[in-house]
Amino acid sequence: MLLSIHLSVRAQDILVEAESFDNPGGWTVDPQFVEQMGSPYLMAHGMGNKVKNASTEVKFEKPGQYHIWVRTMNWVPGNWEAPGKFQLKVNGTLIEKELGLRSGWGWEYVGEAKIDDKNPTPLELVDLTGFNGRCDAIYFSSEKTDPPSSPKKLAEWRTKITAEPNAPKTNNEYDVVIVGGGIAGCAAAIAAAEQGMNVALIHDRPVLGGNASEEIRVHTLGIYGNFERILKKIDTEHYPNGSADAKLDQEKRDNNVKSYNNIDLHLNWRAYDAIAEDNTIKYVDARETRTGERKRFTAPYFIDSSGDGWIGFWAGAEFSYGRESVDTYGEDWDEHGELWSPKEADNAVMGSSVLWGSRDTDTEQSFPDVTWAMPVAKEHIEINGEWQWEFSRNDLNQIDDAEEIRDHMLRAIYGSFANAKKDSVNKNRKLEWVSSLVGKRESRRLTGDHIFTFNDAKEGRKFTDGVVIETRAVDVHYQTVLEDEDNPDFISEALFYKTPEYYIPYRSLYSKNIDNLFMAGRNFSCSHAGLGGPRVMRTTGQMGAAVGFAASLCKKYDVNPRDIYQNYLDPYLALIEEQKYEKIPDTKQ
Amino acid sequence: MKTLPKIGIILVISIIFLQLSSFNSSSYIPSNNLKEQPEFFVLEWEEGTILNPKDTGIIFEVDSIGQHEVVLLVDKNDSPRLFASDISTPVCADGECKLMHIKLYWTLLGEYAGFDRYPGLPLTKHDHDLFVLEDYQKLHRLLTDDKSILERRTMGKLVEKPVMREVNGVDALSGATVKEVKESVVSGALYSCYVAWHLVHGGIQDSIREYSKSLVDDQLVIHMLNSNNKDYQLFALNSLSKGQYEENYQRIAEIFKTGIPMVRGFIIKNLPESFWETNELQKPFWDAFSGIDLNSRSFLLEHLDSAPDTIIAELSSNLGVMSKNQVKAYLANLEKFEKINPVLQHNLQNFAKSDNKAYSYLAHEFLEDR
Repeated sequence: MLLSIHLSVRAQDILVEAESFDNPGGWTVDPQFVEQMGSPYLMAHGMGNKVKNASTEVKFEKPGQYHIWVRTMNWVPGNWEAPGKFQLKVNGTLIEKELGLRSGWGWEYVGEAKIDDKNPTPLELVDLTGFNGRCDAIYFSSEKTDPPSSPKKLAEWRTKITAEPNAPKTNNEYDVVIVGGGIAGCAAAIAAAEQGMNVALIHDRPVLGGNASEEIRVHTLGIYGNFERILKKIDTEHYPNGSADAKLDQEKRDNNVKSYNNIDLHLNWRAYDAIAEDNTIKYVDARETRTGERKRFTAPYFIDSSGDGWIGFWAGAEFSYGRESVDTYGEDWDEHGELWSPKEADNAVMGSSVLWGSRDTDTEQSFPDVTWAMPVAKEHIEINGEWQWEFSRNDLNQIDDAEEIRDHMLRAIYGSFANAKKDSVNKNRKLEWVSSLVGKRESRRLTGDHIFTFNDAKEGRKFTDGVVIETRAVDVHYQTVLEDEDNPDFISEALFYKTPEYYIPYRSLYSKNIDNLFMAGRNFSCSHAGLGGPRVMRTTGQMGAAVGFAASLCKKYDVNPRDIYQNYLDPYLALIEEQKYEKIPDTKQ
Repeated sequence: MKTLPKIGIILVISIIFLQLSSFNSSSYIPSNNLKEQPEFFVLEWEEGTILNPKDTGIIFEVDSIGQHEVVLLVDKNDSPRLFASDISTPVCADGECKLMHIKLYWTLLGEYAGFDRYPGLPLTKHDHDLFVLEDYQKLHRLLTDDKSILERRTMGKLVEKPVMREVNGVDALSGATVKEVKESVVSGALYSCYVAWHLVHGGIQDSIREYSKSLVDDQLVIHMLNSNNKDYQLFALNSLSKGQYEENYQRIAEIFKTGIPMVRGFIIKNLPESFWETNELQKPFWDAFSGIDLNSRSFLLEHLDSAPDTIIAELSSNLGVMSKNQVKAYLANLEKFEKINPVLQHNLQNFAKSDNKAYSYLAHEFLEDR
């Protein structure tokens, strides 16, 4: 049984984690914002259609009258009906109180129920709207004392009520631990596994690929560089962003990664801590997103391909965030001035996308009233979303405020589609797919021995350790609302700078101050403008493969990532050359 | 830097060149002066303005068959105002070529300023239909967009259809590129639009910018500061000294109130320190708070520490328009006060009680903790 139930010391209080329900029904487990709001949660992402009930059973130790709370949030408070309303069914009885009404994550009192201790008590979450109602946990207590809402107090309370020991019970040892199963992480895992390493790949989703997965659906761009053979196992066709074609490549990618026996794949596991001593990471702790089971992953080397640079962040690695001032690295481009590189530093980074699409059907399709979406969507009319559907704002951090960013995009999508539905030409059109995941472009950038900048790309600077090669134009985005307030604030524009072939040095792929940490993906060592080119996924895949092979040499020579550059560059480059071609099996030589 | 697109090479093949060799492409001489606002124009035009041309020596190489001169237009005080050039250039599609006649204008920063059409020489579409007014207006909008998709795509790519696969009978979504092109160009006149856009935004811009450098003086900078053109405003704001910022603080505050968000952000990030040390200088910026965009508000709130108490109190009536992090920043700033003034306290309590405000819970928590 998946269900995670926690009994308090008094055995009269029970905390039921919603994500651990036996049967989530049509609700989806959302683990994206654990670091901000405290836990994975269940969300009724029905795109306007009520989703099937989530259900579970709870065995109570003591019978009696219990007070009930749910931890929830009205994701769009305002002068309208809350969009994400739901109800709770206990023992088959629907409790009248509608939930999902409070602003900000916190506890809502549901009511009372009589609980029997002989049989397990069935619980159900009943969606009322299909528009992203959310439930983190359900709390039963014999006393009517509100659980704490403030994040700090809640975390302490949760630890107490769950009686969770500090360390996970199990400790697993590997040659290398990779956190993040996007294209970079997959490529790193394959490269390391091919060299015989015992690899752990930890990924918080059920499928691999990150932004390229069928859950987000961004196509891979860039060239293969030195790693065509590996990248072809995991990349995508050039379908339009948001296309269902992503499903075809999903199958290919998952099968290929799973074909390596020495990759211990942990899907639906989210890392939550990394501990370093003497600038060396000792272990990473991760939690299964539904059951809450925890594991410790120990290894001599770690690869942070989490996108947000979490492993580096927890371990104390140096990092940067935001747009540097133009003088920091001299990254000016006269033509676009402030939009390209600001005179004074700021946080107007490239935003996150939520892709979506609709399709024509043979019958008339209705779409609910979404008044609550209109302050964001305004008059915008659209029937699908491409890469330009992107949101960034100076006061929003792409990591800390990711839930707000995602929710803003959901309002933009539902509102723009509702506007499109007013046109009779769209009367048979049905909202087919809206991602519930934030497709991020830019977040923390971990600092390496070399910080890759726009100038490295612009001048095509050659490096002795230039293991990643790219020809794609540097492409930095900005929000069009910055140029015209009448534009929707969720649409971006791209500034392209055509470059010669350019190279990313290996020195941008390991941490400057954490001795055994590699990084690959958008969290590699670069400036804001430097990220503009190599952030696309064949390039990040090249980074992954490059560090996977480097890790294997670290093991072989028992050295750290920096030593590979300083003392083993020739064997490293030789290995990269050698791996380009499939080996002929001994039997056929 | 951008290089001049090889329009001639892309579009004019040798056979076409022979067909066109009889055209005299320099038959249009820039008019002597400009007495009326160009028909399609992005800058302000003061009634009664007369602009006179001056040689610049800038030669505009449009294609293999002709060169055009770019002139500087100056006002009666000899102050530079615009650059202009009379263009007639071939537009070729599917082996057939026609001449496009257009008078182009650039700002003093080399950006697109507008165009005039020639009476009797209308622009035409691929199927020989004449441009109607809406088409000219759309062309104007296209030329105003300095980041058009036409910049980074060859003609071949622009007319290419995206290849899509189908999964489980589900429609693949249409390509963003196709849509973007369709929305931005005049229907049936992709080639003309392409040529015109690259004429305006090609290498000529660098030549104009280079030439303009010698024209810049304090008078011109102040002229730009007083313009509603965002590029002029940014250029001026970038050029002003600390003293000039202070002297022109009212105009700068006006731009902050009425300008585009990017310029507002630039202003706040670059105001000299003296503004944050002087109540009078910073007040007009805070006064604009409720009417400006969220990004600009964030930049402004970074200066909460320097704001006088009266401003802090006034801002409490604007909590409802702030984003979550702005409310947080505002409340965090209040921690410095041992005692909160009654008006502010009242506003906070009212806000905390409003269920329909997304971030009222933050004020509630704040009051609870005090």
